Amino acid sequence: MNPPHGVGIGWRPEIAGFVAELPGLRFVEVIAESVPTAGPPPDDLVELRERGVTVVPHGVRLSLGGAEPVDPARVAHLAAVAQLLAAPLVSEHIAFVRAGGLEAGHLLPLPRSYEAVDAICANIIRAQADLPVPIALEPIAALFDWPDDELDEAAFLNEILDRTGALLLLDVANVYANARNRGTDPLALLDRLPLERVAYLHVAGGAEGGGFYHDTHTDPIGPDVLRLLAELCARHRPPAALLERDGHYPAAAELRTELDAVAAACGFPVVT
Amino acid sequence: MTPAGAGPDGPTGTPAATPVEKATATLASRQAELVATLVAGGPPPPGFAPGPLAAARAALLRKRAGEVARHWPLLAAGLGPTWSTMFIEWAADRPTGGGLRDGWDLARALHARTALPALGAEELAVREAEFRYDGHQAPRRRRSPALGRVGGAIAVQVAGRVRLLRPARP
Repeated sequence: MNPPHGVGIGWRPEIAGFVAELPGLRFVEVIAESVPTAGPPPDDLVELRERGVTVVPHGVRLSLGGAEPVDPARVAHLAAVAQLLAAPLVSEHIAFVRAGGLEAGHLLPLPRSYEAVDAICANIIRAQADLPVPIALEPIAALFDWPDDELDEAAFLNEILDRTGALLLLDVANVYANARNRGTDPLALLDRLPLERVAYLHVAGGAEGGGFYHDTHTDPIGPDVLRLLAELCARHRPPAALLERDGHYPAAAELRTELDAVAAACGFPVVT
Repeated sequence: MTPAGAGPDGPTGTPAATPVEKATATLASRQAELVATLVAGGPPPPGFAPGPLAAARAALLRKRAGEVARHWPLLAAGLGPTWSTMFIEWAADRPTGGGLRDGWDLARALHARTALPALGAEELAVREAEFRYDGHQAPRRRRSPALGRVGGAIAVQVAGRVRLLRPARP
């Protein structure tokens, strides 16, 4: 039940062997929806738990930002996964993923309006009532904004965190992507976020395409994102930072180099 | 459900909102309208910058192509470098039914116009022998023995075990 600390990696079946052999690893994340709760958890996760590695269930389909009330069955599943893995916390996104009976297939941004803040806070509070552990909320990377925002990003996020008491899961690559695509200063946003409420960080790679920076999770982490990670940790270092990779998995040596680069940027011990 | 005008009726059921409607539209209807734009070929909601919205739509389709390729690796491999373009063109105004069903629907559509590559035909034959799929509901595992025949490929399933008996005609 240790809270996340140090350098972690997103556990995925494709890299389970690699993750199992990281000697210094103390922290992974697993996609909550991929864990069955009817039987025992996947063997690889059980082995990590037995080694004392903290496993945080990371939900991607709760749709907390949907206008409709969050589906109690989805919250119950997330709660069951947290219990099954003896997780100290769970995480989800400030986003919606479905509406009007259609699945978007991805995390979509909310309008930064008071109406949307009311809707997502109501859902977070509903989820908190049924979760056995605290929830950390992750602001997403979005390629577009709604046309009628009433709040800027920092005010929007602070309003949600203040009203719900939730922790923050800050994704440095998302902060970078949004700032790049909007032409804003990522450090100005960091200056206004409650860094002391960050449960852990996410960091991932991305790529340029069609005039936008895409947070792909399938490319290496660029130097700009690593610099932003180092800047953030120089201001106030959160307890942990987790590398997300979701496809085009590179050779083990390359992944180890990325984990080491994350450790160096944060000043954490290497886990490789 | 959502108020009229932005429900799940898809592309044709979502008229463009007038300024008055926009002012009174609820978060639910506006979210529904946005999702329909992104995944079902609906018209862009008023006020959104078209460039970023188009980029998001394209990114969603690329992500979906990747998911389908994980469920249908032979179909994707058979189409080679044309896979992404082929899938994205086909999927642009079709909401997803999940990677398994999307790939299934595409494979059947390609087969119907004799454009399914041999590898895709073999993969489809195996799936047809393994599951019953009516194109609407989630595929269900067959309980009795079955043959799958697609473009010369024949797969047989007995007691849940599937074997490709004959490869597809190249």
